[in-house]
Amino acid sequence: MSDSEDRPSFANQMPVGSATFDDAPRRFRADHPEDKFSGASGVLFEQAMAQTRMAICLCDPHAEDTPIVFANRAFRALTGYDEEEIIGNNCRFLQGPDTDPKQVEKIRHALATEDVLVVELLNYRKDGSSFWNALHLGPVYDNDGNLMYFFGSQWDVSDVRAARAEEHHAKMMARELSHRMKNMFAVISGIVNITGRMRGIEKESAEINGRIQALGRAYETTLDEASSGSIEIGQAIRAILSPYGADEDRLIFLGNGARVPFQTVSVVGLVLHELAANATKFGAWSDDNGRVEVDWKRGEVDDSAALIIEWQEVGGPQVSEPENDEGTGTAIVNRMLRLAQGQIDREWAKDGLRVTISVPLGSMA
Amino acid sequence: MTDCSDCTILLLDDEPLILMDLEFAVEDKGCAALCSSTVQQAIDLLEQTETIHVAILDVTLQDGETCVPVARALEQRGIPFVLHSGDLDRQDETVRDLDAELIAKPSSADSVIRRALDFSERTRA
Repeated sequence: MSDSEDRPSFANQMPVGSATFDDAPRRFRADHPEDKFSGASGVLFEQAMAQTRMAICLCDPHAEDTPIVFANRAFRALTGYDEEEIIGNNCRFLQGPDTDPKQVEKIRHALATEDVLVVELLNYRKDGSSFWNALHLGPVYDNDGNLMYFFGSQWDVSDVRAARAEEHHAKMMARELSHRMKNMFAVISGIVNITGRMRGIEKESAEINGRIQALGRAYETTLDEASSGSIEIGQAIRAILSPYGADEDRLIFLGNGARVPFQTVSVVGLVLHELAANATKFGAWSDDNGRVEVDWKRGEVDDSAALIIEWQEVGGPQVSEPENDEGTGTAIVNRMLRLAQGQIDREWAKDGLRVTISVPLGSMA
Repeated sequence: MTDCSDCTILLLDDEPLILMDLEFAVEDKGCAALCSSTVQQAIDLLEQTETIHVAILDVTLQDGETCVPVARALEQRGIPFVLHSGDLDRQDETVRDLDAELIAKPSSADSVIRRALDFSERTRA
């Protein structure tokens, strides 16, 4: 607008010291006869401005120092200032000692280039307390494309930011915990190995370590969701088995999402480790051709919810049921599943071992 | 299986028990282990030793150090290295940047050494 100097601003029309500000549409229109707030849409717009909980202000880019010429009720509620303290001033009175100059510079640049901008910056209320302001600003043009105002909306996002910070902190903690846990498992492995070496039982210590490490990998996947009490078993299954299937084609995961109680993870971890160790020694992974397919899903066994895992070895050497299995990994698996009220069925098919495992999910329906 | 007798392997880990476990596993293979627990020690060993075949580096070390300076020094000398870490998530950027083979902790010391030697051989081939 070329005759901006003459355009009346809100500031010099305000009764100074008015404690209660009437921003009803009637008055807004009376103050601004030249603006095109006409008809039903104008009334709706004005009412919305007055009633919205979003703090809104308009600044006049044609007046010296781009002062605020309109601020709605929400703006006053947010900042704690009375209207006469707001109107006529540049928005920067909301800034304070810890306001980031970089964000202020972005605002300055957006004003200079008539750009739309959303920034978060620390602002200060009249009482000196600070709040995080998500400021949206942009130019408002008249019908002829002349710049009339800058529009600014303010939203207190302090809570959002606090929640974000807390979430970030929780993630950092989870990662730190995860790191320490893996390290602890690695140290335990070291102790087992070194003790095995001193006692001359390296083979036994390696076997113990295999189990410890499978458990470590399984537990590690549960950390991210430690607060929920239930876990995504697929991630744990992948983590347990991934070291065995160096080749992608030889370890195929068929299962998808299945949430199970956290307690399930140790049984699943140890059982799959024993199956994988057996496959490496005698089964599908003992030669160059075989592969293992692993499927898992939630299902029902005897009318109660259960996690069902199918282990299928394909293309390996011909297998047959071992004659004496007591005291081996197989016996441990059987015993463990019995104690977990679960079941295991092994089928020594010609093309490879097929195992079906079920672990009850208890009250988690 | 890699023929690796006479290989010299640089080990970097700030946890003495893990370092000891790895050292034993290196000796089992008939190789020589150079053990370090800080970046400075590793760099010193690197400068004092004529031939190192492969290095195994823990990523996150004490006092906020990471293995990156050692990795860079190894790269300069054309010595292959693998990363042995329980902290791969957090070190995502660093690790991707280094373009090295990753071995997640916990893994058995024997398999760590085996993979490092295999990697070394593949790199040289």
